[in-house]
Amino acid sequence: MSSVLCPEIPSPGFSFENCHRNAMLEAKGLAMPKAQKTGTTIVGIIYKDGVILGADTRATEDTTVADKNCEKIHYLAPNMYCCGAGTAADTEMTTQMVASQLELHRLYTNRVARVATAKQILKQYLFRYQGYIGAALVLGGVDSTGPHLYSIHPHGSTDKLPYCTMGSGSLAAIAVFESRWKENMDEAEGIQLVRDAIAAGIFNDLGSGSNVDVCIIRKGSVDYKRTYDEANKKGEKQNSYKYAKGTTAVLTTKVVDIEEVAVRSIDLERMDTA
Amino acid sequence: MVLESDNDWMNAAHSTGTSIMAAEFKGGVVIGADSRTTTGAYIANRVTDKLTKVTEHIYCCRSGSAADTQAISDIVSYHLGFHGMELGEEPLVEVGANVFKELCYNYRDSLMAGILVAGWDKKKGGQVYSIPIGGMCVRQSVSIGGSGSSYVYGYVDANYKQDMTQEECVKFVTNTLALAMSRDGSSGGVVRLGIISEKGIERKVILGTELPKFYQE
Amino acid sequence: MSSIGTGYDLSASQFSPDGRVFQVEYAMKAVENSGTVIGLKGSDGIILAAEKLILSKLHEPSTNQRIFNIDKHIGMAFSGLIADARQIVQIARREAAEYRQQYGSSIPLKYLNDRVSMYMHAYTLYSAIRPYGCSVILASYENGEPVMYTIDPSGISYGNHGCATGKAKQSAKTEIEKLKLGQIPCKELAKEAAKIIYLVHDELKDKNFELELSWVCKDSNGYHERVPEVVFQEAEKAAKQAMEADSESDTEDM
Repeated sequence: MSSVLCPEIPSPGFSFENCHRNAMLEAKGLAMPKAQKTGTTIVGIIYKDGVILGADTRATEDTTVADKNCEKIHYLAPNMYCCGAGTAADTEMTTQMVASQLELHRLYTNRVARVATAKQILKQYLFRYQGYIGAALVLGGVDSTGPHLYSIHPHGSTDKLPYCTMGSGSLAAIAVFESRWKENMDEAEGIQLVRDAIAAGIFNDLGSGSNVDVCIIRKGSVDYKRTYDEANKKGEKQNSYKYAKGTTAVLTTKVVDIEEVAVRSIDLERMDTA
Repeated sequence: MVLESDNDWMNAAHSTGTSIMAAEFKGGVVIGADSRTTTGAYIANRVTDKLTKVTEHIYCCRSGSAADTQAISDIVSYHLGFHGMELGEEPLVEVGANVFKELCYNYRDSLMAGILVAGWDKKKGGQVYSIPIGGMCVRQSVSIGGSGSSYVYGYVDANYKQDMTQEECVKFVTNTLALAMSRDGSSGGVVRLGIISEKGIERKVILGTELPKFYQE
Repeated sequence: MSSIGTGYDLSASQFSPDGRVFQVEYAMKAVENSGTVIGLKGSDGIILAAEKLILSKLHEPSTNQRIFNIDKHIGMAFSGLIADARQIVQIARREAAEYRQQYGSSIPLKYLNDRVSMYMHAYTLYSAIRPYGCSVILASYENGEPVMYTIDPSGISYGNHGCATGKAKQSAKTEIEKLKLGQIPCKELAKEAAKIIYLVHDELKDKNFELELSWVCKDSNGYHERVPEVVFQEAEKAAKQAMEADSESDTEDM
């Protein structure tokens, strides 16, 4: 029993107590509020010297574009980044939490954290929440054992692959990889392939759009290319369509003084401190 | 217009609609699996490895939800690792199977997992244990699992023999899986094989183009 | 004893200045006050034998047993305080049952020995509790291999070919060393075990005793059980004959 003397401490973590009620209300026809989701194309490949991750930058809320230039490649550790698709809040908070765990792990062990470690933390966290955390991730990084790329699904399953795609645009993107990915590609070739895969998502999937972000992770260095490419560049206007000053004619002018303002200074009143 | 929530890639559970198999032969076991992981009608991974290591001499073939079976094998791997340390020797295959069973049975309401546990130990040699959905555990000399298995029960019953040689057994497992994959839509890709004996495991891959053909060319 | 009056023997959680834990040593004394128990490894199993002292004629035979079943394939014999030992038996039984539940096969004796000795050792660390006043012998026959361990009140355990604890452990050990351990079949070994118990029994100090004999071997299909009546009678007869022969030769010497 809750009281002033003994307040009830709410149990930590998610509460699922309204799930049944909500499902019932939804079945009766009540419209549920929509979460902002990154209807997305995210991809990753392994190339000669490391890993390249790519993402589009559109966030949607139902059919509306909520953000035209959001960041979907999240920082995990100096040698690891992670693309997120699914519920925007979930991918953001999940990657932030894992990033903090990895930093502590790095300080504690005095070693560069391994990609497999991040994978294990992520999959165990997602599995614990049985798919209710809607985060679909592409995790890439380079560690002492070489480059690694994982795709992680919301229910907590993982796949280790040389190239992978995720999100609503994954079908368009995987088609690009399946036809053009090779082992031991050089960096320029790799970046071009990733760009093309994301572009395929942007052009063919309604949930994806705007720009291409690319992140190149090599052994010991990272190149995060925010807005590597604008897939749909707005055309330049041929002319200035601004109206010239004075286009609208002034017919009459009248100036009214609204208030007289006088400034008067007041002496400070000393406080009695005697 | 397609709404995000209508897409099944987010909500549909990732599952290994699968063909898996394990068979005892003289001196060990042969395990095998196809390599397809599906999300609804989409192939999420065409080169999956469903033969998962638990200890040096115990492996499992996973079918059902990918997330569930991966989590279970991780947990069993941890338990047997610890148990092996405490015991000072490698855990028995029946012990491994029993730990799998314990998890599969206790959490039967929230899991979707059909697992074959196979391995080799000093006490009983090559062994196969089948743990279907629900958490039963039985030893069988040959066992098949996953959605593709229903097409090949007859083939297995007609062709399995006790105490085959390793080569015969590998051929038998390859044929069975090729037949299952050709009839089951949610199985396919390559055939992954593992031969577990006293020496440990020997892995093999048979590419989709090299699969045995039968009456059809 | 040097420890008395120094105050270092009041608690198991304190060392004496010369590095001893007197409470544990006292517990060993408790073991030495009780009847002798021996364990012998044969070629095809293990024999456990106990000298159960009968303190009153009013006691019924076969009560207060000194040899217990822990699991189908494991036997335990003890010397020392019976009430303490019964708690160890309970712990060991629970440990074996839990192992069976978790891993679906019978517990290896090596593992059980680790667990029980860790448990007994824990009772030598804290001031609020006293160590167990008993030594136990664990015996099993697994995968065609006889295995035996003894655990002291200190929590130390040893693997043995033959062992003895209790009152006459010294003379019993001397007798055991004369045997070819690991080579004699259990049926024969039962007689040797009975002989040793009869031999080391001190008729002057302790009047009556009852012989307990159990085995875990090939003949018992790997199960731990009391030896069959026939084997028991034969063993007891052999022991009594040996005693008579012994006393005759003694008189001749005189």
